[in-house]
Amino acid sequence: MRRSKRDSRRRACGFLSFGGWSIVFLACVTTVIVVVWPIPRRPGLTMWTAARNHTLIYDPMVQKWNAHQTPRVNLYLISQDALARRMMSGFLSDTPMADVIEVEKQVAGRAFAGPIDDVGFVDLTDKLRSSGIYGELNTPSLGPWTSRGHVFGLPHDVHPVMLCYRADIVEAAGIDVSKIETWDDFAEAFRPLIKDLDGDGRPDRYALNLWHTSTDQIETLMLQAGGNFFDENERPTIDTDANARVLSTVVSWVEGPRRIAADAPEFTASGNQLRIDGYVVSSIMPDWLCGVWKQDLPQLKGKLKLMPLPAWDRGGRHTSVWGGTMLGIPKSSKNFDAAWAFAKNLYLSEDLARDLYATTNIVTPVKKFWPKAFYDVPDPYFSGQAPGRRYLRLAPDVPRRTSSPFNPLAKARVQDALLELRRYALEHSAFDPVRLHAEARRQLKIAEDLVREQIDRNVFLKETAK
Amino acid sequence: MKAPLATTASTLAAPALPTPAVPVSFGDHAVHGSVRLGDRNPRAPYFFLAPFLVIFALFTVYPLIQSIVLSTQQTYGPRSARFVGASNFITLLHDALFWKAVRNTVVFTCGSVFLQLPLSLGLAMLLNRPGLRGRTTFRLIFFSPSLVGLAFVAMIFGLIFEKRTGLLNVGLHRIVGFNPDFPWLQEYVMPAMILAALWMYVGFNMVYFLAALQNVSRDLQEAAEVDGAGAWHRFMHVTIPAIRPVATFVVLLSIIGSFQLFELPYVLLGGGGPDNQGLTVVMYLYQNGFETGDLGYASAIGWLLAILLGTFAVVQRLLAKAEEA
Repeated sequence: MRRSKRDSRRRACGFLSFGGWSIVFLACVTTVIVVVWPIPRRPGLTMWTAARNHTLIYDPMVQKWNAHQTPRVNLYLISQDALARRMMSGFLSDTPMADVIEVEKQVAGRAFAGPIDDVGFVDLTDKLRSSGIYGELNTPSLGPWTSRGHVFGLPHDVHPVMLCYRADIVEAAGIDVSKIETWDDFAEAFRPLIKDLDGDGRPDRYALNLWHTSTDQIETLMLQAGGNFFDENERPTIDTDANARVLSTVVSWVEGPRRIAADAPEFTASGNQLRIDGYVVSSIMPDWLCGVWKQDLPQLKGKLKLMPLPAWDRGGRHTSVWGGTMLGIPKSSKNFDAAWAFAKNLYLSEDLARDLYATTNIVTPVKKFWPKAFYDVPDPYFSGQAPGRRYLRLAPDVPRRTSSPFNPLAKARVQDALLELRRYALEHSAFDPVRLHAEARRQLKIAEDLVREQIDRNVFLKETAK
Repeated sequence: MKAPLATTASTLAAPALPTPAVPVSFGDHAVHGSVRLGDRNPRAPYFFLAPFLVIFALFTVYPLIQSIVLSTQQTYGPRSARFVGASNFITLLHDALFWKAVRNTVVFTCGSVFLQLPLSLGLAMLLNRPGLRGRTTFRLIFFSPSLVGLAFVAMIFGLIFEKRTGLLNVGLHRIVGFNPDFPWLQEYVMPAMILAALWMYVGFNMVYFLAALQNVSRDLQEAAEVDGAGAWHRFMHVTIPAIRPVATFVVLLSIIGSFQLFELPYVLLGGGGPDNQGLTVVMYLYQNGFETGDLGYASAIGWLLAILLGTFAVVQRLLAKAEEA
């Protein structure tokens, strides 16, 4: 017997319950709404940044630009990870991107890993040279944003490094820091500060905040010593005497009878508490870290002072470099001229130099602003010293860096080398840097070979080299 | 009684061809009805299978084939890809970091299976004791850590394991004079991770074992007791065989979960940790694929892991069959 149409309809309706059909209906309706609903887009240029402190400075400048210039600029603060992912997604898969992106050094390096033509940022080399901006900038500050001879971003900073110490503790112990010229001088002068304060047989105070896992600080010390991971042609130069000397010395500082260092990690609550307690008396301090400490460690106001980094040798370099940020314009930007005009206006202005220093203690890479009086203002946080002027005195001596996309890999391999060296020192009870030097060279050779192997695997770099 | 299928079959529009009656089984009862195959649309089964096959082909087969192709390339994102043949696999076989990741993953898996599961079983047996008061409350207490995500667990234990200011070091220092600088997250990364995973999953596995224990026949237990079997003998020869299917399932689940470990070390250590002590295979795959951008190498890692696990599964199956034989 043929089924009636009413029976067929009843069967179809009975396939799902009333609740089931409600869900299907809602799903269909919402799908249509999501597909059809237009995404509101703000007109003008978009800028991404991941630094909250920077947005506080940029906001009034962006508003000033929007009041007098076109197109308007829309500033967005997004997290570092999200910015990195969106940037790489935009470069590799053409997803929507900002017109101007402020990128930190570790993130920017990832953009330089592939073929030079595939680097997602616009090549600014010719623009910088023809406009004379190149000569206005501190040259080492361009290093991290230069790949295979092409400059892809405007530098935001210089980031010279000094040593910050607990003046209340050091001066109470009668130590005259002006007599300290080298790291050996520092170790001897600060050694009497290492003390067991609670009688449990373990020291509760150490001279220096440094550990064998502090990869960034170790890179900073290597750069100061004249070492580096790569040369101008981005070939690995990890196995060098300078790098080996730093590793051997670090091991002698963190282990053995001549230990002077302890671990008080930056950007952690536990590390901050240790700094407040005076567990570590001195720390390696780039200019940007001054602003972080002011925010996170108000308890130390008036107890700190800055001094140049002790040199590795008499007459040697008294500073180094740590970190960096650039402003880049993606190739996908629809209005390069406007983005470039805005970028210059933002990064090369005296307003930014002044506000950046006042808010974050970061000194500008634009040399013509270095003589400005706002860098001479005494800072009560640093016991009345003028940190800006002190950092700027060291700025011309900041070491050169490269932008090799293999930098994170090199850092990781050097970290492995240091850990192996420490293990060797503990096994052989050898903590003298001179005795450790040969083993340090051996470990660095292994590290360099591993990095070279990875570089040689990269077919895109080989194509560029041809 | 005629099978419903016979009526249904006869209503389909199909030419009546001389076809044999075939037995049709419904569950345990075979029914001999006059189902005439020729009466049905021969393409009907394929129409019913089609949605699943299309989705399976699109989301499983195609990505698998694509990943094999990808593993023979070196890439920088989807646009830049160069064919390199077996170079990725050859490099991988000599990649010390990959084998370190495999070793770390295996050690973690062993910690999961040989520490976590006996502890879960022990807790389940304690909770299964007759007359225990507050069984439900204890079950909730032990199970509740598994309700939070691994990322939260990693953040909590990151604070607990801190040197000098972490709860563990400070507490032990005050009680027994333990070294407050004990570097859990620098030199004892694997024990720290196993402890964190233990805290999270012991209760989860305990629930499985408790359910299995509650289904062990009391008659068998009593009979064994009457026959003079002690507690240990009853456990080995009555309880263990009775809960073996659940135990096998829990072991398999633990091994699979352990080999997929990623969030715990990634959040706890921010990566592989010092000396890559916390580097796992999935994390290494992620680093190569999504941080370095070399999807080809990451695919090769995935395939080599699949081959290793497949080999392990085959060996385990052969050994189990031999044991049964």
